[in-house]
Amino acid sequence: MKIERNLEEHSLYLNMGPQHPSTHGVLRVILKLDGEYIEEAEPVLGYIHRMHEKMGENRTYAQYLPNMGRVDYLSALSYNQCYVGAVERLTGIAPPPRAEYIRVITTELNRLSSHLLWFGAYVLDLGGFTPFLYSFDDREHILDLLESITGSRLTYCYFRFGGVSKDITDDFITGTRAFIKRLRMHLPMYETLVTKNVIFINRVKEVGIITPEAARRYGVTGPALRGSGIKYDVRKNEPYSIYPEVDFDIPVQDGCDALSRYIVRMLEMEQSMRIIEQALDKLPEGPVMAPKVPKKVKPPKGDCYFAVETARGDFGIYIVSDGTETAYRIKLRTPGFSNLSIFAEISRGTLLQDAISTMGSLDLVIPEIDR
Amino acid sequence: MLLSKTKTAIESIFPLEIKEADYARVGYHLEVILDAEKVVSLAKVMMAQGFYLEDVTAIDLNPDMEVIYHYAHTEGCCRVTGRAYTPRHAPEVPTIAGIYSGANWHERETHDFFGITFKDHPYLVPLLLPEDADFHPLVKEDGKVKQLKDIKRAEVKEQAGAPAAGEGKPAPAGGEKGEKA
Amino acid sequence: MSYFGEIYTGAVSLIAGLGVTGKALFQPTVTVQYPWETIDITPTFRGHIELVTDEETGNFKCICCGLCQLNCPSHCISIKSSKPEGAKKKALDSYMLNFTTCSLCGTCVEGCPADAIKFSDDYNLAGFSREEFYFDLVKRAREEK
Repeated sequence: MKIERNLEEHSLYLNMGPQHPSTHGVLRVILKLDGEYIEEAEPVLGYIHRMHEKMGENRTYAQYLPNMGRVDYLSALSYNQCYVGAVERLTGIAPPPRAEYIRVITTELNRLSSHLLWFGAYVLDLGGFTPFLYSFDDREHILDLLESITGSRLTYCYFRFGGVSKDITDDFITGTRAFIKRLRMHLPMYETLVTKNVIFINRVKEVGIITPEAARRYGVTGPALRGSGIKYDVRKNEPYSIYPEVDFDIPVQDGCDALSRYIVRMLEMEQSMRIIEQALDKLPEGPVMAPKVPKKVKPPKGDCYFAVETARGDFGIYIVSDGTETAYRIKLRTPGFSNLSIFAEISRGTLLQDAISTMGSLDLVIPEIDR
Repeated sequence: MLLSKTKTAIESIFPLEIKEADYARVGYHLEVILDAEKVVSLAKVMMAQGFYLEDVTAIDLNPDMEVIYHYAHTEGCCRVTGRAYTPRHAPEVPTIAGIYSGANWHERETHDFFGITFKDHPYLVPLLLPEDADFHPLVKEDGKVKQLKDIKRAEVKEQAGAPAAGEGKPAPAGGEKGEKA
Repeated sequence: MSYFGEIYTGAVSLIAGLGVTGKALFQPTVTVQYPWETIDITPTFRGHIELVTDEETGNFKCICCGLCQLNCPSHCISIKSSKPEGAKKKALDSYMLNFTTCSLCGTCVEGCPADAIKFSDDYNLAGFSREEFYFDLVKRAREEK
């Protein structure tokens, strides 16, 4: 793990980051190179550490809600969902069914936007500029849709304890259906442009091998784990919200390499669209807030754990309440943290260019790792 | 199935320490309350049972800090929480990084935030905080730190609760569905 | 794969990719030339907050209860109010919003018992100094009139 600096050796020490474009944020990786091969890699974190967990101890439960949009800004709604889910479990507030459906629809849209951004940025890391523009064009439509109901484009703060802050409109529903139709037409285009491209395949195939055994040792989750042939998704394994009521599959690939992780995410987009369509069809009428939510949420003493599947993996919140208006302890278990911790092991002995490809395939969002 | 298998496996080593939890209310199935020295043997059992490590964290309490290990399984819904206690003035727990490689970073993070020393940890330097940080942000001020009884569910409720309370109280939404599955 | 085989597959995937990008050349432009053209923003847009005036009386709806100040997670609102001689209600002297720390979460708008604050649709915000974003909402509302 630690890189011992030995100046006698003919090794090259290279700092990748903290401003390297392929680290997507401020991550620094110290690389010890032997020629073009990586002997040792040590990620250095903390450049965007904001101590969200301490903030949770100083703010009331409702005041902490906006923080959730900022831990992982690319799938903010999953984080919203996890936090309100944890507090609801702790207090026993039950959101009405319509609110649960809206939560799932918006979260899945957010997952699509996250995957689309990842897709564009990943291909950009590998040197392909054009797909980035196409995927951002598609993503823009999701942002417009979500902006029309949540009021913000990126750092959403939409869910409330016992429901959502605003009901969705008919325009949103027709807009979402139209968008799904559009994305369905565009996915084959992405396939021709990128997935079948020889250069792309050569850059990602058999690169960054994560064996199922190593994945378990490091606690890797999400598409990175499903690319290693393990069918684990919190939405299926530990169903929450309305996921048991909709029919969807968990795409799994057993190549263990960057290509498998890429394919898993591309297939997941289709599944997200299926979930949204079914949820829109089944969307019940009714209120979007539970009737008796206290103005000041004051959970009883005790602890509780709640996990959701974000675009990057298993995100869990552990809340310990001491019976007051602020939490005694809030622990955020972020998927990117565990997913990145395996990087040192899987990049050992690979080429420097493959490290870029491996890192991109893990879909890192640094603010979520540093918290 | 998975739950009972896990329970038997843990029970064979920690017959007294294991406790079943009400999943619908707390989000985990089993709770193992250990001495600090035994966290490594729990990690070994969990590894053998095919669990992965969610996180390692702690809670600052008086007089003993609580170190928490969350385990989950990829094949079903079973979550296990391990708890160990270590004195607040000189917190020390053995490392499990030798068993779960991912624990390396989680323990470094916990060391940053709470100042807990993980014995035999391969590389215990600040991970998220600056290299020269001489403070532990999540250690509470003396006036604010609470005792274990202040954050635990009232015992009476728990005893009466497990079978009966589920009917009278509105079950939390997520939990109810979780149970069905 | 043989040498020529590789060249062939490479050429095929190149042409397939060029086909996709070539098609995009003949599709309508989606980019908006921002300062010259703008797109309508949604009515739910969350800009910085502003005070609502009562249409009948022309006064602010604000009742100076201070709930927004209390609820704000980033403590960016500070209200000063006074009770003029003989008046029944408190009147707002200044409503300071420190927009540099505001995270636009909307807790203040939701918590307001009198519906006295709303989001503005002002998104063209840029300035040369931090002080430009310490808004006095009372002053702002009066200037707008």
